[in-house]
Amino acid sequence: MIEVRGLTKRYGDVTAVDDLTFDVREGLVTGFLGPNGAGKSTTMRMVLGLDRPTAGRALLHGRPLTSYAEPLREVGALLDPGSMHPGRTGRNHLRVAARTNGVPDERVDEVLEQVGMASAARRRIRTYSLGMRQRLGIAAALLGDPRVLLFDEPVNGLDLDGVRWIRGLLRSLADEGRTVLVSSHLMSEMQQTADRLVVIGRGRLVADATMEEVLAGLGGRQVRVRTTGLDLLACRLRARGRVVRQVDEQEAVVDGSDAREVGDAAHHLGLAVHHLSEVEQSLEQAFLELTGDAVEHHGGTEAVSRTSVEAAR
Amino acid sequence: MTTRADVAPSPGTTPTRARVLARTCRAEWTRLWTVRTTWWFAAAAAVAMVGLGLVAGSDAAGNPDPPYGEPAWVAPAIASLPTQFALLGLALVAVTSEYATSAIVPTLQWAPRRSTFFAARVLVVVGTATGLGALLAVVSGIAAHAMASDILVLPVDDGLSVVGTSAFVFAAGCALAVGLGLVLRSTAGALVAVFLLILLLPLLLPQFGYRWMTEVAEVLPGTSAVFLLTGESGAESITETSAVVTMLVWAAGALTLGWLRLVRDDADR
Repeated sequence: MIEVRGLTKRYGDVTAVDDLTFDVREGLVTGFLGPNGAGKSTTMRMVLGLDRPTAGRALLHGRPLTSYAEPLREVGALLDPGSMHPGRTGRNHLRVAARTNGVPDERVDEVLEQVGMASAARRRIRTYSLGMRQRLGIAAALLGDPRVLLFDEPVNGLDLDGVRWIRGLLRSLADEGRTVLVSSHLMSEMQQTADRLVVIGRGRLVADATMEEVLAGLGGRQVRVRTTGLDLLACRLRARGRVVRQVDEQEAVVDGSDAREVGDAAHHLGLAVHHLSEVEQSLEQAFLELTGDAVEHHGGTEAVSRTSVEAAR
Repeated sequence: MTTRADVAPSPGTTPTRARVLARTCRAEWTRLWTVRTTWWFAAAAAVAMVGLGLVAGSDAAGNPDPPYGEPAWVAPAIASLPTQFALLGLALVAVTSEYATSAIVPTLQWAPRRSTFFAARVLVVVGTATGLGALLAVVSGIAAHAMASDILVLPVDDGLSVVGTSAFVFAAGCALAVGLGLVLRSTAGALVAVFLLILLLPLLLPQFGYRWMTEVAEVLPGTSAVFLLTGESGAESITETSAVVTMLVWAAGALTLGWLRLVRDDADR
C-alpha cells in the first residue's frame, strides 16, 4: 500500500505538487491521471525518494522507502525509459540493480525472459528502441518481485502487442495482490486497465474514486432526446431542476436525468419522441470535465467544459 | 504464476548496514567496469605510466654517461604527473556520466540510502583509480629497470615510498574529482574545475608576479601534488606535511560538498 500524505513540492515560486493526499491500495490497478505538467511524475519520484518533498510524506506499507535495506524487494518502478547509461548492456544494467539489492543473477535472466528481452540482453542500450528500453525498465521494476509497482506511462513506445502485454501484466500483478500505480495520459488505456483512479490537475487532487464513480460522477447520467416540442419539454424538465442543453433545433442533452424521466415528461406533454437515449460517459470526457480548470497550458481555441471537481468524488 | 502469498513481506533477516554497504560497493564495481569509458581511461593511464617507465629505462640505457645506481622508481614518480589526469578522468566521468545520461535516477531508486550510496561510490571509484595507479606505478618502475637492468636499481624501500606517495596523490585527486562531480553534476564543468585546480592555476598564477597570487597557488592541490611527486614546487614554504594536509583538505572539502548535494537535493535536478 502507498500512502501519500500532504505531499507538496515547490520549485521556487512554482508549486508542482500541492498538498496531495491519497492511498493506493493492494490488489487493484490504480490509474494516476492528469494533464501534462499536473505533477504525476514528480509525485512518483517523491514516493520513490528521488525528489525531496517540500512538505508531506509518502509511505510504503507505513514506512518511507529509505528505511528499506532492499528497496527493490518492496517497490519496483518504471520512470523515464531514457534514464539508463546507453553504453551498458541491458543485462549489465539489471545486474547492477540485482547486486545493489542482493538479488541473484539468475533472476536477471528470468525477468529478461519475462519481458521478451532475452535475445537483446547483451546488446548495448544505445542500440535499443524506445519500446525495448521500456521493456528493460519493466524488467528492472519486476526484478525484486516487489509488492508495490509504479509505472509512469508504461505503454509509451510499445507496439500493439506490447500494449496488450502490459495490460495483461498490470492485471496479473494486481490479481496477485500487489499494489499497482500506473500513470498515463491515454484515457482510453486507463479505462481498459484501471480499477481505481487518482486524478490530479496543477498538482492538486481532483478525484480519488473508482472508475465507475468517476464516470458516473459528472452530474450523473445524461439523456439525449429528439422531439418536435423541444421547448415545452425543456420547460418541464428545467422546472424539475434539470439542465437542458439544446444541441439542435429538435435535439437536446439533459444532464442529471435518465431516459425514464424524460420519456415520462414527453408522454405527459403528449409529445412525439423521435430519439431517446442515455449517453455513455467516456473516461476521456470525464477527464476533461474533471481537469478542465486544472490544465496548465490550454490550446488557443480549445474550449474545455468546467464542472465542479467535487462532482466525481 | 506467483500467488498473493508469494508477495508477502520477505521474512528473511534485514541486512545489516555493513552488508548493505558491501552490496552497494559490489554494484558500484559492476557499474564502473561495465562501461567502455572506464577501460579507455585505464588504458590511457597504463600507456602513460608504463610507457614513460620504458622510455626512462631506455634513456638510461642509451645515456653516454649512464646514471649507475639510480633507482628506477624515479620513472613512476615523474610518470605519475601525467598519469593522474587519466585517473582523475576515470573517477570524474564515473560520477558525472550518471547525471549526463540520467542513469542516476535508477541508481538512487535502487539505493535510496544516499549516505550509504555515497560511501560506496567514493570507496569503489577512488579505491579503484588509486589501486590501478599504484599497480601501474609498480609496473612502470619494473619496466624502467627491465630496460636498463645493469644501470638502474630497484630498492624496495624506495619503491614503497614512491608508490605510496603516488597512491596518496591519486587518492586525494580522485576524491577531489568525485566530490566536484557530485557538486557540479556536469562532466564539462567538473573537468574544467579539476584541470584548473590541479594543472592550470598552479602553473599560471605564479607567472603574474603578484605575491598573493603565488600564495594562492601554493595552497592549490596541484602544487602539492607536484611537490609530493617530484620534490619541486617553486615555492619555498611548502613542506611534505603541508602538501599532504593541503591535498587532504581539498579532498575532504569537495567530498563534503558533494555529499551534501547528494543527500539534500533531488536526484538529478
